[in-house]
Amino acid sequence: MAVKEVTKNGKKRKQSSEDEVPVPPPAIMNGELEMLSDEEDGEDALSDDGGVDGFPEIDTRSDSGDDEFEGLDEEEDSEEEEDEQGDSSDADSLHVFPKAKTIISHITGQPKRVYPEIEPDYDSDSSTEDDPNRVGNVPMHWYDDLPHVGYDIDGKKVLRPARGDELDKFLSTVEDPSAWTSAFDKNTQTDKPLTTEELDIIRRLYAGEVPDAEYDPYEPTIEWFTGKGKEEVMPLSSAPEPKRRWVPSKWEKQKVMKIVRAIRQGRIIGSKPKTTSKFSFYSIWSEMSSSHPPPLPAPKPSLPTNSESYNPPEEYLPSEEERKEWEAQDPEDRERDYLPQKHSALRLVPAYDRFIKERFSRQLDLYLAPRIQRVKLNLDPSTLIPKLPSPSSLKPFPNYKSLKFTHTKGRARCVSVSPDGAWVVSGDESGKVSLWEVNVGREVKSWNFDSKIGALDWCPRLDVSYFVVAVEEKVHFVIPPNVPGPVLALTQSLLAPATLPPAPPTPSPVKWVTPPTSSWSIDTPILTANLPASSGLPTQVTWHRRGDYLATVSTGGTQGGVWIHQVTRRHSQAPFKKVKGAVQLVLFHPLKPHFFVATQQYVRIYNLSEQKLLKTLIPGIKWISSMDVHPSGDHLIVGGYDRKLCWFDLELSDKPYKIMRYHTRAIRSLHFHPSYPLFASSSDDGAIQIFHSRVYNDLMTDPLIVPLKILRGHEIRDGLGVLQVKWCNRQPWLVSGGADGTIASTFARSMGLLDVLAAT
Amino acid sequence: MASIPGAATISLPVVFTTQTAYPLPSQKFMIPGTWKRYQLSQLVNKALALPKIVPFDFLVKGEILRTSLGEWGAEHGVGEEETLDIEYIESVMPPEKVSDFPHEDWVSSVSCQLQGQFLTASYDGHIRTFDYSKATTSSTQAHSAPITSICLVPSTALDANTYTIASASHDLTAQLTQVTLGAAAGSSSAKATRIATLHLHTAPLASIASNSTGSNLLTASWDGLIGHWDTSVPSSDEVPENASNERDRKKRRKVDEAGRKKVPRKAPVGVLKSHVGRVSKAVFANGEGRIAYSCGFDSTVRVWDTENGVCTHTITASEKPFLDLALPQEPHTLLAASTDRTMTLYDVRVSTTSASAPVSFLHPALPSCLATSSNTQQVVSGAYDGVVRVWDLRSAKGALATFRAWEGGEKVLSVDWERGLVGVGGEGGFAVWKVGEGAR
Repeated sequence: MAVKEVTKNGKKRKQSSEDEVPVPPPAIMNGELEMLSDEEDGEDALSDDGGVDGFPEIDTRSDSGDDEFEGLDEEEDSEEEEDEQGDSSDADSLHVFPKAKTIISHITGQPKRVYPEIEPDYDSDSSTEDDPNRVGNVPMHWYDDLPHVGYDIDGKKVLRPARGDELDKFLSTVEDPSAWTSAFDKNTQTDKPLTTEELDIIRRLYAGEVPDAEYDPYEPTIEWFTGKGKEEVMPLSSAPEPKRRWVPSKWEKQKVMKIVRAIRQGRIIGSKPKTTSKFSFYSIWSEMSSSHPPPLPAPKPSLPTNSESYNPPEEYLPSEEERKEWEAQDPEDRERDYLPQKHSALRLVPAYDRFIKERFSRQLDLYLAPRIQRVKLNLDPSTLIPKLPSPSSLKPFPNYKSLKFTHTKGRARCVSVSPDGAWVVSGDESGKVSLWEVNVGREVKSWNFDSKIGALDWCPRLDVSYFVVAVEEKVHFVIPPNVPGPVLALTQSLLAPATLPPAPPTPSPVKWVTPPTSSWSIDTPILTANLPASSGLPTQVTWHRRGDYLATVSTGGTQGGVWIHQVTRRHSQAPFKKVKGAVQLVLFHPLKPHFFVATQQYVRIYNLSEQKLLKTLIPGIKWISSMDVHPSGDHLIVGGYDRKLCWFDLELSDKPYKIMRYHTRAIRSLHFHPSYPLFASSSDDGAIQIFHSRVYNDLMTDPLIVPLKILRGHEIRDGLGVLQVKWCNRQPWLVSGGADGTIASTFARSMGLLDVLAAT
Repeated sequence: MASIPGAATISLPVVFTTQTAYPLPSQKFMIPGTWKRYQLSQLVNKALALPKIVPFDFLVKGEILRTSLGEWGAEHGVGEEETLDIEYIESVMPPEKVSDFPHEDWVSSVSCQLQGQFLTASYDGHIRTFDYSKATTSSTQAHSAPITSICLVPSTALDANTYTIASASHDLTAQLTQVTLGAAAGSSSAKATRIATLHLHTAPLASIASNSTGSNLLTASWDGLIGHWDTSVPSSDEVPENASNERDRKKRRKVDEAGRKKVPRKAPVGVLKSHVGRVSKAVFANGEGRIAYSCGFDSTVRVWDTENGVCTHTITASEKPFLDLALPQEPHTLLAASTDRTMTLYDVRVSTTSASAPVSFLHPALPSCLATSSNTQQVVSGAYDGVVRVWDLRSAKGALATFRAWEGGEKVLSVDWERGLVGVGGEGGFAVWKVGEGAR
């Protein structure tokens, strides 16, 4: 069976690698292995193997007749064999070594010993050889990563015998019952069965015992040096104290002298001495350390007064009651620590009995009294406040409420000031739009619409005069009364021209309707743009600066709500097919063809002419409520329902330049003044805050933002405060629309310049 | 009084001066520090032995004495060694309400110039006249748009019951209306005819004013122009009708509704153009009608030569949009009310760079209108808080008297003061109060 395996393995090896020497499997016994390897070696290198192959030579040697040598050789071999095999194989060895017979040589006539013919069989001598590779006693780990395991006596590489793969290992463990008691031997590169002793050592180690079976941990004590009769009477050594113990070492001295000489000759340069000057005494009191402030001088003992005189005037002498009172007091409570005494002459003054005590307490004072300068942080709190110009130097700004205009039916949602700054239109939730003078507050005209007013805005053109009113799904264009003739004619020809502009190539869902000229009166809108059905209430109307385009934002409807309308062409288009998030507000850039779109959390800037996204601003506001762009177009303010107001420098970054959180409730509206460096923010807390916002042309200078004034005057109803603020053109006046209450809403126009009174 | 030690004992040397008809001899009086206005007034009355008690108010260094003299001295750091110059004026009686004329709409302008009649212009476009017995003597719709200002054009040629009234309106025109009142008071025979419309402006008009002879008019408008007109009625249109068909029809319809005949359209004699903002008021100077004053929202007060139509002088204030203008008796001074809640006294001869700051009278609310009395140094101002204040120009610290025209604090839009009667027009209608020396 083993032979079969050999051949099988050999075939396998030949398949895998041709040059590798086929090696017998580990389970083969030593003798077989030797044979096989010999044969194979012969095949591989025929000429070299002649020396190694001993068995045919035995015959020749025996032919040559060198018997004794032969015999000696055999003896040595057998001895080696005995050494290696141990005692257990003694009985076998008797049979293994054949007896020599002494015969008379028929050639020489001399008697000679003749050994029987050795059959190269299982019981041949070579079967005892167990060091098959003969690489010598070298550490086998040297060859761990090499294909060979050493060199034989001829300097040839001894190649590493092939090891079986995992399947072979498994098979061997299954088929060979002794496989689990065998271990890999690096010398032979084979698995070697462990001997009984080795197994015993393993068992002992495993059991935690002493591995040596011979070792007896409980041996009886043998007293070699102690015990009865072995006491040391004399000292261990009576040698005299050696001289080197007290004489300086000559060799050390020579070593030191060598160094000294080297130092003198300059070959050794010592490290720089740490202190060049020699140690000097100094008075620790006279010299002050530089880092600390100088210690406070000790308090001086007070100078003696009249009452301490040896002969004080009579009035200083204590009376009997005072003396008693003084003596009754505790020493700490006494006002003075002595009693004035009168002596008629200095020579009669006795020795001062409290001298020692007084000196001692003085020393205690000097020593224990903590005389440190307490560094109080004398910071003026005003210096910590950033240096802002005083509001009075930033006049004019609104500082009092001048007028109130009341909408009786609903809260005033929206308000707009005419471009000449003279008229205000305001719309409330009951559908009423009022036109009133900015300076008197008298309603001149009102229009009634059938749904609540979402937004309104005055056309910024100065040569025409009209405003747009956004109600549910409609945008109305209304001309105010008392417009001068040329302006009225131009406005009419703009809004209701005799020949309508050509229809746009792509039909728009927004229909522009002009009532027939006969039915038009000042009370009805001259032009209406019907937004698509179920688009909801437009909450914002914003004009382009030139007054030809306007954008509306509808919310609440099922369809998305940004539309850009062109008045001259009577055409509306939706600039975005799909916008991520609900659009809250839009704005036209005052100078460039840019378009600001505020969704719930981001403000995106689009270039309308190139039709691409330029920038996304991240205000960090949870829900944007309001937005306005500076007239220069370089700055943007964004307000949110979470009370934050962010100022963006559009040249700078997409993060806010400044975040202000001055309102206590949600911000509702923001507006930059068109000409003055002012902006206002209104909030649900019923307050309007006025800020000075100076923007410099110099790019290096940051904008200056100074809070100027908090105007209160609106009441908070249903949690809603001031809903919209708008500035008047040309004057530092502010118009604000508030939601107060179920029945009334007020408009406060706060205006003014210098003055004392607050605006409540 | 007890808080000031020694106030009971000190006496102050005082010299009295006055511009009234009751002068005291200029000598030094030693006045006890405890004395107040009442004792001082009694002193003057007794010293002059006046047959009828005349109450006086006392101005100490430009401030009306409200406390005792000793307290005033302590407050202002004036010792008892210093001689005080005290000027006394006849005190203003507490104003009394004479009558109330309720209007349906706001009253934008009032005039008390007419003896025995009050003129009011209202936001509903009507000009109304009332007599002293609260009866409406005439009512005519002069404009289809709100009237902002009216004035009486004095004329001598007409009979006693016929007056010419000039009105300015939001409909971009001013108008001359002839009102003939019935002979008997309260009769309904009043007749009003429009005699001319004045066409110049392209924005609503803010004010209209006539000179003392009634020969010329000034209109101020929001478009920054001041129109200078004469009051002669032209025989034909001086300004062509606007050719716009829409507007024309609308206008014609309105005219038809009003049922009135076509009136001549008048052109201005001259246009005074220098203001850069809205002009809020333009008036002729007292005396001959060559010089005019105007104020506007561009924070300037301008002096005009109306014959040449040039601006001769400009007073530039900083950020004071002016709302109204009034001329006190003293020549070359004018009062202007501005939106910074001040009424400021300017000397028109002084350039703006002069060191002395003009005197400002502070109001707690926006002063919207001013009126001067004809013969005293007093002025009334009406404010948006509904309070009319009477000021003495020598005392900038506080008003002589204040009264609330209506109970609810409605805005006051116009005041006029003539013959001791102050007409107050505004949100609450028209009210007449008795103020000043004429009330006695």
